[in-house]
Amino acid sequence: MIGVGDIRFATIVVLAAAGAAFFLLGTVGLLRLPDFFSRVHAATKCDTVGAGLLLTALIVLNGAEPSTAKIIVLAGLVLLSSPTTGHALARAAHRTGLVPWHAEEE
Amino acid sequence: MSLTFDIFLLLYLIAAALVVARAKDLLAASIVFSSYGLALCLLWQYRGAPDVAMTEAAVGAGITTVLFLVAIGRTTRREK
Amino acid sequence: MRRPIAISLAFLAAVPLLAGVAGLPVHGDPSAPVHTHVSARYIEHGVEEAGASNLVTGVLLNYRGLDAAGEVTVIFTALIAVLAVLTVASTRDADASNHDGRVRRSDADRRHPDHPVSPIVHFVVRLIAPFTALYAAYVILHGHVTPGGGFQGGAILGGLFIALTMVLGKERTRPLVRPVLAPWMQGAAVLTFAAVGAVGALLTGVYLGFPVDPSLRIVRDLMLIALEVGIALGGAAVLAMIFLQMEAS
Repeated sequence: MIGVGDIRFATIVVLAAAGAAFFLLGTVGLLRLPDFFSRVHAATKCDTVGAGLLLTALIVLNGAEPSTAKIIVLAGLVLLSSPTTGHALARAAHRTGLVPWHAEEE
Repeated sequence: MSLTFDIFLLLYLIAAALVVARAKDLLAASIVFSSYGLALCLLWQYRGAPDVAMTEAAVGAGITTVLFLVAIGRTTRREK
Repeated sequence: MRRPIAISLAFLAAVPLLAGVAGLPVHGDPSAPVHTHVSARYIEHGVEEAGASNLVTGVLLNYRGLDAAGEVTVIFTALIAVLAVLTVASTRDADASNHDGRVRRSDADRRHPDHPVSPIVHFVVRLIAPFTALYAAYVILHGHVTPGGGFQGGAILGGLFIALTMVLGKERTRPLVRPVLAPWMQGAAVLTFAAVGAVGALLTGVYLGFPVDPSLRIVRDLMLIALEVGIALGGAAVLAMIFLQMEAS
């Protein structure tokens, strides 16, 4: 028998695993991608989607508690601040004349 | 489990401190110092000192880095 | 030759330090002096004696109020030193450029004239700013109950001021610190400690003494909150002034 608790547990596991996976992929991207713009792109995915999914998992884990409201606010803050940071970094690099990387042509 | 996390954070702190001390690129040193502050903040919180953790997060990981960056912007990025 | 000497000196210096560490009680040992003397008193009587549910605040502002007063004095002195150095540097720069006969451009010009701050960053910072200010006020005023207090809230306020200055420009945020008020805000922490200390001296006969009598509970709470607000204003002013002065010159 699959109860409500099992579904909730499975949701938490899936969300947390997806968040961790985004962090892993973002870190790999940060280390492996060729230039500043693509690295910022990878790193921003980490913070936004990875942390967002992990916080969503925490919301489900916490249930209907007063402290869940704090996690929701926290998730909103992360969703707001992290893309802004990525945007500001990329914009600053573009403004200072950094040229995006292109694959070598034949 | 908690001990593992402690040891990981402490090792990270030592490594970050060495990098900050050795780095010739002052911008990189400032950024690593900011991450040092973040790890220290986690450690304080984990050790049950939320008051200190808040100070460390605001000052150590935040404002100090900004002031360092402004100072680097006004002087030079490379250590002689 | 100098390196081996330095290494051996470092090891020699480490020996007494390690010997000292070996003499310390085991970490977490309940019979260690620190746990049998002051800590026990703080934990058992701290809440009714110091008037703060957050023991850290009680120890920081009440039991060890003199230490905190010395601490803010040190920070204030450091600010004066930093401002003195930065002001000298900036006036010297200004003199030099005047002698060259060049017209000194304003900060807005010198930074990218046709590159204003990104509208996205502008929007997000303005969106978050009031909530950050609210959070700082909560941390400051609630510091005697929950983790936080003047130092933490002041740092958050200072950070908010720096963020606003970076995004809106100095022309918009400078008026927040009026020239008449600026010196009072920079000295706010020291002055508040002096004032609260004097009030304590009047009430209890001891400088920075806090009344223990339950009927004066409200006075004690007000003294604590005044200290928190003073520390916060002073701390925020220190951080903001250092940033403004560095940017200005």
